[in-house]
Amino acid sequence: MLMHLTLFRDGELRQLDIQLPPPAGLGLGIDRWEGASVSTALQYAQRVFEPNLGYSLSCRRGLCRLCAMRIDGEVKLACTVALHDGIRIEPAKPKLALHDTVVELSLVRVKPERGAKVATENRIPTTT
Amino acid sequence: MTEVWDVIVLGGGAAGLVAAFHARQAGASVLVVNKGLVGRSGATITSGGGVSIAGESLVAIGLQADASDTEERFLQDTVIAGSFLNDQQLVESMVTGIGAEMQRLIDWGIKFSVNRRAPGHSSGRGVHISGIDMQRALTRIAQQAGVSFREDFQSTQLLRREGAVVGVLGLDRRTGSVDSIHGHSTVLATGGATSNWSLRTAPEELSGEGQRMAVEAGATLIDMEMMQFLPCCLTAPAIWRGLQFPWILGPQSGVHAWLMNRFGERFMARWDPVRMELATRDMVSAASATEVHEGRGSPNGGVYLSWKHLPNDIIDNFPATSRSISADWQWEGFDMTPLVERIKQGYAIEVAPAAHFSLGGVRVDAGAATGVPGLFACGEVTGAMHGANRLSGNAGAQVLVQGRIAGQAAAVDAQQRRAADRWADNQDEAAAVTLAPFERQAGVAPFELKERLSQLAERALGPVRTATALEEGRIVLADLKNNVLPQLACRTRDLMWNRDWSDALECQAAFSVIESALLGAAGREHSIGAHQRHDNKHADSGVLSHSLVSFDGNALRRHTTPVTFPFVARP
Repeated sequence: MLMHLTLFRDGELRQLDIQLPPPAGLGLGIDRWEGASVSTALQYAQRVFEPNLGYSLSCRRGLCRLCAMRIDGEVKLACTVALHDGIRIEPAKPKLALHDTVVELSLVRVKPERGAKVATENRIPTTT
Repeated sequence: MTEVWDVIVLGGGAAGLVAAFHARQAGASVLVVNKGLVGRSGATITSGGGVSIAGESLVAIGLQADASDTEERFLQDTVIAGSFLNDQQLVESMVTGIGAEMQRLIDWGIKFSVNRRAPGHSSGRGVHISGIDMQRALTRIAQQAGVSFREDFQSTQLLRREGAVVGVLGLDRRTGSVDSIHGHSTVLATGGATSNWSLRTAPEELSGEGQRMAVEAGATLIDMEMMQFLPCCLTAPAIWRGLQFPWILGPQSGVHAWLMNRFGERFMARWDPVRMELATRDMVSAASATEVHEGRGSPNGGVYLSWKHLPNDIIDNFPATSRSISADWQWEGFDMTPLVERIKQGYAIEVAPAAHFSLGGVRVDAGAATGVPGLFACGEVTGAMHGANRLSGNAGAQVLVQGRIAGQAAAVDAQQRRAADRWADNQDEAAAVTLAPFERQAGVAPFELKERLSQLAERALGPVRTATALEEGRIVLADLKNNVLPQLACRTRDLMWNRDWSDALECQAAFSVIESALLGAAGREHSIGAHQRHDNKHADSGVLSHSLVSFDGNALRRHTTPVTFPFVARP
């Protein structure tokens, strides 16, 4: 299972391809990666391949919207999207990128220098 | 000079935001500290949306409801469901206080509907407010009230001076800096400790830092062995693991799906031959886990839930009366069509009980005080409100009432107990413990320990327990604490969003949570509610006690105190 990641690191976007091994016997309770979410794959990749890998995850059921990412070109919630070979994962919005796939989604952060504009920019559209 | 807040609230779910709002209304400067993002983390968002309120309280605020449903009946239902293990003073404050809080939500313009039925309650009792709407409204209200926020801040240690709490230390996950925040009074609203269990319904971040910080600061944990499991959650595939969809399509909605073991036996007949699958959730959880424990489970460690005896029309027509499932089977963030198709083809679904809500937690009185000067607590981080089993909607009532009480009490406390010198006695030690995993160059990767701890909790502290498994758990935990915890090391020197570091800090919290639960469970030798002893299935007819755990010197120790029954006598 090949994942093409575009990560925001040290101020620039970088490419990282990760080839996940077959999941049987990895303790994930699955025998095909197609039965797992993008979030599960990122969690596994951080643990095994890329300790630096930054990703957000909270409710795991598409409610909190913290894990919004651009997946195959569309902003989606990583916890609800199933993996497929060759999947492309990027920050939801490069302008809001903080670290790797983590973007600024704060609803309460005060940014006086940008004023009211922030509130509208924070509203990331999702397809779910 | 260091900034000093009047009130620091740890946690930005409903309990924390209500506390923050009320502290601010009382004139305090308030900082909400949140491990993730406020409005996008915590269990409130995932709540089913019930808020229990007695019919008479609803009528009193001008809503149409059953006026014969009194606060006394609400209290009685709650205590009976909790097997009389509730702290009745807490329950009394919830049932009498929730009407006024509901009035406030109505004044704020929150969307709600009045319940017609509520499982386990003797009447419809209460309203429905979606978890997302509740979280959104409270975030806005707290902001408008002038509350300040510090996000992505993982609190790890309470700062103390001469026994009183004077602030909090933790890791700023955005920058990797270990910072101290000083306040006159602190409210814990960090939620449950469910993420220490492997199969769970609640969000990732509920790892029990609040419970750990409180007990280390001198507070007492109460009934930590009481973990509410939600039955009939999906075990597979991984993307759906822990989802409560089968429970909703089945027993929770009154739909007579059948639970079976691998022999096709409807095992609920052995537990409740009348209500069968519609029995209370503690019983359905215990029954399902017992089948697995006794070797009659399904391949993925669960049991089978089947709709095959029902005509497909019942399933097809289900969404029309559901609040959460759309006509095309969209539910929460998922398209459940493939699962529904499988059900309609006659296949059973593998389900298991998932850790859902921490019934035990920090001991508080009806004033939300922990007994430690400067430390209050509210919501799921606290214990004993629900006793041995929680009724649906009662967590919604709890967060609103306890949140108000804690916020107001902290504001008053901050006025009365202002110390000019906020320097903490334990500043250096707190920072050292928090920095240790980052500074260690080689050792064990934190996620490995995290996995082992959640497997330990699952084995020893699942819905059915035995003395043998609890003792094994105690030995393994002690070994991990002595030999692995001191070896935790981050594999990366990155300061920003260092997940290894956050995982290591969550492991530190997990030890306090699991050890307290093991102590409580081992000492409670009879079965009661969520704590089912496979080696002693009978309830105790003797003195009913709370399990209390506190620090004695350098170790956690269990002691007990008899439960009192000031409002509803134990039969």
